[in-house]
Amino acid sequence: MRTQKKITGFLVLLIFFFSFAGSLVPSAQAAEAKKTYTIATDTTFPPFEYQDASGEYVGIDLDLLKAIAEDQGFEYRLQPLGFNAAVQALQSGNVDGVIAGMSITDERKQTFDFSEPYFDSGPIMGVDANNSAILSYEDLRGHRVAVKTGTEGAAFADSIKDQYGFTVITFDDSPQLIEEVKAGGSVAYFEDYPVVAFGIAQGNGMKMPLPKEPGGSYGFAVNKGQNAELLEMFNAGLANIKENGKYKEIVASYLGDSFASEGGEIEIAATAKMSGFELIWTSMPAFLKGLGYTIYYTLISLFFAFILGLIFGSMKVSHNKVLRGIATVFVDIFRGIPLLILAFFIYFAIPQALNFTMPIWTAAILALSLNAGAYVTEIIRGGIQSIDKGQMEAARSLGVPYGTAMRKIILPQAIKVMVPSFINQMVITLKDTSIMSIIGLVELTQSGKLVVARTFQSFEVWLTIGIMYLIVITILTKIADRLERRVSRG
Amino acid sequence: MGKVKVTGLKKSYGSNEVLKGIDMEVQEGEVVCVIGPSGSGKSTFLRCLNLLEEITAGKVVVDDHDLSDKKSDINKIRENIGMVFQHFNLFPHKTVLQNITFAPVELKKQTKAEAEKTAMSLLERVGLSDKANAFPASLSGGQKQRVAIARALAMNPDVMLFDEPTSALDPEMVGEVLGVMQDLAREGMTMIIVTHEMGFAREVGNRVIFMDGGYIVEEGTPEEVFGSPKHERTISFLEKVL
Repeated sequence: MRTQKKITGFLVLLIFFFSFAGSLVPSAQAAEAKKTYTIATDTTFPPFEYQDASGEYVGIDLDLLKAIAEDQGFEYRLQPLGFNAAVQALQSGNVDGVIAGMSITDERKQTFDFSEPYFDSGPIMGVDANNSAILSYEDLRGHRVAVKTGTEGAAFADSIKDQYGFTVITFDDSPQLIEEVKAGGSVAYFEDYPVVAFGIAQGNGMKMPLPKEPGGSYGFAVNKGQNAELLEMFNAGLANIKENGKYKEIVASYLGDSFASEGGEIEIAATAKMSGFELIWTSMPAFLKGLGYTIYYTLISLFFAFILGLIFGSMKVSHNKVLRGIATVFVDIFRGIPLLILAFFIYFAIPQALNFTMPIWTAAILALSLNAGAYVTEIIRGGIQSIDKGQMEAARSLGVPYGTAMRKIILPQAIKVMVPSFINQMVITLKDTSIMSIIGLVELTQSGKLVVARTFQSFEVWLTIGIMYLIVITILTKIADRLERRVSRG
Repeated sequence: MGKVKVTGLKKSYGSNEVLKGIDMEVQEGEVVCVIGPSGSGKSTFLRCLNLLEEITAGKVVVDDHDLSDKKSDINKIRENIGMVFQHFNLFPHKTVLQNITFAPVELKKQTKAEAEKTAMSLLERVGLSDKANAFPASLSGGQKQRVAIARALAMNPDVMLFDEPTSALDPEMVGEVLGVMQDLAREGMTMIIVTHEMGFAREVGNRVIFMDGGYIVEEGTPEEVFGSPKHERTISFLEKVL
């Protein structure tokens, strides 16, 4: 009887937990009424997409998309995810289309349907402006070069690396390539020509010793066989804005007039590089907003983790073998899977397999809650088991039921034991939110990435972000210490 | 009320049989002292009487309630069986008064005010009225054990089980606890006491049970067991402890 009641209670909680998560998913029917397309893009791929100083996403891709949508009269919602995440989100059906400076390749055509090419690109090599040793591909022999995963630059570097005897390292973000080269890990990087040129114009301290390679074109992508009407509208709109001069206007506004008309040299006047202090000062609102989200996601995730921990922790100390088994499996799974893989699995794999969509923040909170929940389960189990068995026996011998004895006698004592571990877990979860930037969650780390993508001033930004984490964690730890002292005083 | 009847009680931990068939009966108001070498199963036996240990086989009936019957409400039955532990097991996060009132209030036996009144009179009985608001950590071992006795008595049980109540005490504190127990016996409480205090068993016990190897080897009045033990194992045990 008692066990049954406990199992029922557990199920109710579980259903509550998942229906809460489920309620965050916009229902498919609502979207049918007036179709709003969700279109994913990269976060850090200037000049095609990046955040300007005010935190708005701008870039050639986004302006083109906007103009085409206006021309064709369709609604869309933009989801800046990062390139890899955007492509995976498209595959898993989380988004309807991707516009992210995506090169049209035969390989990709297996999975996606592309629009007419809207921009002709091609890879080029970038090196540090002060580096006079790398003047040709031949000079790369024995060195390392950096590329961004899935780009034409990466494909090109791969195709010539054996011939010229260099090794390749891949990154997820364009700015990371610059940082890698600046830091000296790689001597050069291969990236799409407009990106490299735009970065140099922004004063990222690189140069292009060689002309660009002939290359492919960028296209707008949808999942193969899906959203054909969206693709048609894109093509029609693209033709229209090319016709009426809007296209030229947009490209020129980022890459200069001559580039737009002749496909020639980029000639943006190099924008004055901001001083470190100025940069941090203007970016601070974005950072603080990111920090707010970081704390917000941490607290929500810890709340669910605590509920999960209480449920599975009590199951772990119960006398019922089945309950203990379930709890052990829960802990083993979610403690055993790296958080990053868990996030990928929840955000990309599950929606793809079960054919539904999930907002990033739901996926992030689920991943963080389940991961922290496994650790909290162990903290609670350890705390409960650290209390002398005689306490439970004394309460039971008086006729007090198990649950009451657990709540009123064991837990109040156990919590004192658990507090330091809880504080530790809180700090870990707060830091772990940064991992969620990889699926595009907007939080402190992500807001740093975005600023670096625009300004290429990684030292100032990462120093500031690091200090911000440090300050917040120190404050939280101090508060928790004080709390701990109060708890242990009784 | 306060009768205990045990028939064919067996207890095993896996393949290790600790109790190999115990039959005994305790009458209302009787004080039974259980003695025997360590590992003889006497503590396990006592803990079977309120089901802190699950019974492997056999029957334990306290008053009219069959503990071995899965359908009986064990919490209800335990209210009637007080237990005092070797290591006191007071609740360290509660004051002395809260330790005593916790179960009666939680189980709705009494209102908080009633329970506190009862608790104060119990504390007076064990001579600790001035410690009502102290926390267990500030008490001596003897004081802790007297509070533990008061806590068990607060549920107004008909039977009291004592599991080596003085073994963890400094010698000079044994007397105060035994004194309280002696008073309790005089008032007619049914008591089953696992103890190493042979003097106390002889003086206060109506009956003494000698256990060894999971069996009751010998039982009788204190005079019989201590004065003229019949069984060889009883003789050799008593030779060692007396």
